[in-house]
Order: sequence, then C-alpha cells, then structure tokens
Amino acid sequence: MTSLARLGCYAAIAVVLGGVSASGDDFLIQTAIGVAISAILALSWDILSRTGQVSLGQSAFFGIGAYGSGLLTPKLGVVLGWGCGLALCAVAAALLGLVTLRLRRLYFTIATLSFGLSMQVLIIVTPGLTGGSTGITPPVLMGGKPSMQLLLIAGLLIGAAIVSDIFLTARFRPAFFMIRSNPPLAAASGVPVVQTKIMAFAVSGVIAGVAGACYAGLYGYVIPEDVFTPNWNVLPLAICILGGMDTTLGPILGALLLRVLEEVARHFIGGAGYQVVYGGVIILFIVLAPKGLIGLLAQARRRHGAPR
Amino acid sequence: MTTLSVNRCTVAFGGLKAINDLSVTIKGGAITALIGPNGSGKSTFCNMTSGQIPPQSGDILLDGAPIAGRRVDQIVAAGLARTYQVPRVPRELTIGEVIDVPLRYARSPRSLPLGMRSAADLAKFCGLVSALETRCADLSISDLRRLEIARALACRPRVLLLDEAMAGLGVQDTEQVMDLVRAVHAAGVTIVVIEHVMRIVATLCAHVVVLNNGQLLAEGAPAVALADPAVREAYLGKGFAL
Repeated sequence: MTSLARLGCYAAIAVVLGGVSASGDDFLIQTAIGVAISAILALSWDILSRTGQVSLGQSAFFGIGAYGSGLLTPKLGVVLGWGCGLALCAVAAALLGLVTLRLRRLYFTIATLSFGLSMQVLIIVTPGLTGGSTGITPPVLMGGKPSMQLLLIAGLLIGAAIVSDIFLTARFRPAFFMIRSNPPLAAASGVPVVQTKIMAFAVSGVIAGVAGACYAGLYGYVIPEDVFTPNWNVLPLAICILGGMDTTLGPILGALLLRVLEEVARHFIGGAGYQVVYGGVIILFIVLAPKGLIGLLAQARRRHGAPR
Repeated sequence: MTTLSVNRCTVAFGGLKAINDLSVTIKGGAITALIGPNGSGKSTFCNMTSGQIPPQSGDILLDGAPIAGRRVDQIVAAGLARTYQVPRVPRELTIGEVIDVPLRYARSPRSLPLGMRSAADLAKFCGLVSALETRCADLSISDLRRLEIARALACRPRVLLLDEAMAGLGVQDTEQVMDLVRAVHAAGVTIVVIEHVMRIVATLCAHVVVLNNGQLLAEGAPAVALADPAVREAYLGKGFAL
C-alpha cells in the first residue's frame, strides 16, 4: 500500500469514528467502542502471527493491560499508570516469547493458551494484590463520557494501525515472513531470528494491553472473567480470518464485519441460536475466502482490471 | 582469500557421529569440492560451519577468528554464507524481497562483489529470468536455485558454501551456474561446493575433500582424490573397487 493510501486509511478511521462520536447515538457509540477495541486486539494478534507465532493467549496481555493500568493509575496517574501497565505487558510477552521460542506451530499455540488461562488463576489466588475474584475498580476514562472515550480509543486504534503498517514496510515484512515460513533461511540471511520474534511478541503484548486498558477504563469495574475470558483469545483470530491476515486494514474491517454479522444474526435469529449462524459464517470464510475480506476486495479489483 | 578451518569438530545425533573428530582446512585459492557418499556428513558440515547445528566439540576458524558456537546471523556477519539444497523461500514474497532481506539484515562490512549494488544487479548476475516482482510461488526450479545463490551472495560473504546448488538443473543451466561460481570465486570469494555429479566436480574444482562417516577420507586434486582406492571403496563398497 502506498503511503497516501495509508494516510487515507487513518483519516477514514478518524472521520468515521469521529462522526459516530459526534452523532450522540448511544447504541452506535457503544458499538463503535467495542469494534475499535476488538480491532486493536486483532492488530496485536496479526503483528505476532506475521512471524509465524499463532497465539491463543492474547487475553493474557489484554488482562494484564486492564489490571496493570487499572491498579496503577490510582497510584501513579494516568500517564505513568498506563505506561507501567503496558511495560508489564511487554515484559510478560517477552518472557513468554523466550519460553516458547523453540515451540513450533500447534505446540506454541497451546502454550500461549495455557498462559492465558493461568493468568486468570494468578489473579484469583492473589486477592491482596489484585482484588482476586471480586475484581477491581479502575478509574473511568474521559470522565465516563462514551463519546469522548470513543475519540480516545479511535486515536489509539490509529496508533496501533501505524505500528502495524511499520511492520509491513520493506524493512520488516519480508524478514517476518521468512521467519514464519523458514526460520533457518532467515537466520542464514542475517536476520537475528530470536530477537526479532521476541520483539514482535513484546510489541504485540503492548498493543493487546492497550486494548485491555481501554476496556478496563470504560465502566470502572472489572472482574477477572471479563478480561481473561478465552473469548479474547479467539476473537482476534476470528477477526483476522474474516478481515484478512497480514494486513492492517484486514483486522480493522474484520472487527467491523464480525460485529455487523453478530448484530444481524441476533436480530433475525435471536436467543443464543444466533451464535451458530455467526460461527457458520466464519467457517464459510475459512473455506471460501481464506484471505478474508481484503482478499475478496483484491480479487474484485483484479477482475475489474484496476491497477493494483 | 579467506581460509575456513575446522579443527577436531564433532557433531553427534544421539549415538551417531555425523561429523566425527573432523579436521579440514579449506583455502581460498581454488574452488573446493566437498564430496562423499550419502550420509558421509556433507550436509552436516554445511549446517555445522554455518552455525545451524553447532559442533559439540572443536573449533571452526574463519581466517583465524573463531565462529563455532556463535549465532547463525553472527556467522553470516563474520563472512560465511550458504545456500540450501532445497530452496524453501516464502511463497508470498517476491524475488526482490527475498534478496533484499540479507541486503538489509546481514551486518557484513563488505560490499557486493563485482561492483554490484542492488537486488536487481544480483538477480541479473545470477541469471534469473523472472522479473524482480515475481512471487516465489511462481518460480521454476532453475530460478529457485539461482535465487538461492543470489540470496547467499547478498550476505556479502568471504566464504560461500553451495549445497548441491546445481541439483536438478539441465545441462545449459548447470554450465551457466558454473560460470557464475567461477566469476564469484575470481572476485575473491572462497567457495566450497557440495556435489554429487563428478563431471561438475572435475571441471569446476581444483581441489577435492572427500568425507566418509563424518571423517576426512582423502583430499587433493580431483584426479588424484577420485583415484584413491579408499574413496572408490567408500562409494562402491568393498570388493567392487575398480
């Protein structure tokens, strides 16, 4: 993507989310906040997956970001509280990256999944430090005004998109893909494979932590099940499959599409049955459009003969 | 030219010593062939010197500087590059992007040989017929082999190990790649080729190192080394020596 197209993409996010914020419609604003937080989390997953590390443990960093910022902000202030909370995410991610370094494919994924699950237990068994199962009361963001919260989260989403785009430049993208498909070849081409993988892990952890910190600041009350639920592990994966992996726009459009799908299915089917349809559509995407929405769009453009 | 010396190195996989107390010195003056029957340790030699499988004991020196035990990318920076026998490049990347990785990442203080400056120069020099924008998924075996050589040259090596870089190529392609190897050697890069095809060994290389069971069996000029009764026995079996 050219830098002009990238700027257009950031501007589009700002305009759409800014417009929703200005509309004053409560339902739209809450929906947009949910989509934007999911998109940030999905971007964090995608950046990591470009190095071949398919994580099912993003909830760990989402939760550490939520708990870290939530517990430290009252003591240190917003800036330092968030900073330290996110630094905690980076450290946890780098450590998990080091431990799982030699694990390939499924083994890696299982290890990240168990890390995510064990974090929740860690919170529950340390009530003195973390409030345990009763949860915590983080300070609400932007005085609890949803329209202002949306503006803040839109800004952070654009930040995450910029980071994602940096990792898609010629400096990183080919090296990441080489690490993913053939690590010895990457090393033999001079790429410091271990450092690069851990760096990607730390960046991914921080961005997932940003999403968690946003989530924690929405209502001022968080229990461990809210942020460490395996839902946050699966969601980014589903979003990236829908939207298209290895891109910045994919996870963002995927988050939107997933939410639209969910609302449409809920409206027409209702109850809990809607989840079956919603799951069915994701399976259809995996089978029929493995490159997601972005892949379909690119295909359509080629068919209409537009220059790439 | 740079000298690669291996001193009393051992690489064992469980009880099997793929490289067994091997000492061998590769000088830069002539293109060296590394040959030996299947399972003699040729590929392990490549993996060991390039750092992918470090030796459990012994030293590897690049112009006197120890490289054994260092990371693969550090060994690349020190000046040793290799090609892979089976080129598995990421399908989604283009030729240009693959060559670009070592151009950006290999922390080699040297510049490209023969006045080359860019990925395009390397692709042209290596005789890649496909355009730089071609995705690796769409390459022929001939172009994949040439790309692998271009990628290794982009590491700006002092010593280049070619692991069966001509396997599967037709006669004409093989001739072209041999000319290419000669040109790189003439530009001052020490070259080791691992080869099965004796015609290539005999025409390209002035020095042959023969491995068997992870040990040095013989070395010398091709005619001399290949005529060695021990070498013939290793290839053909006892009693079948011609």
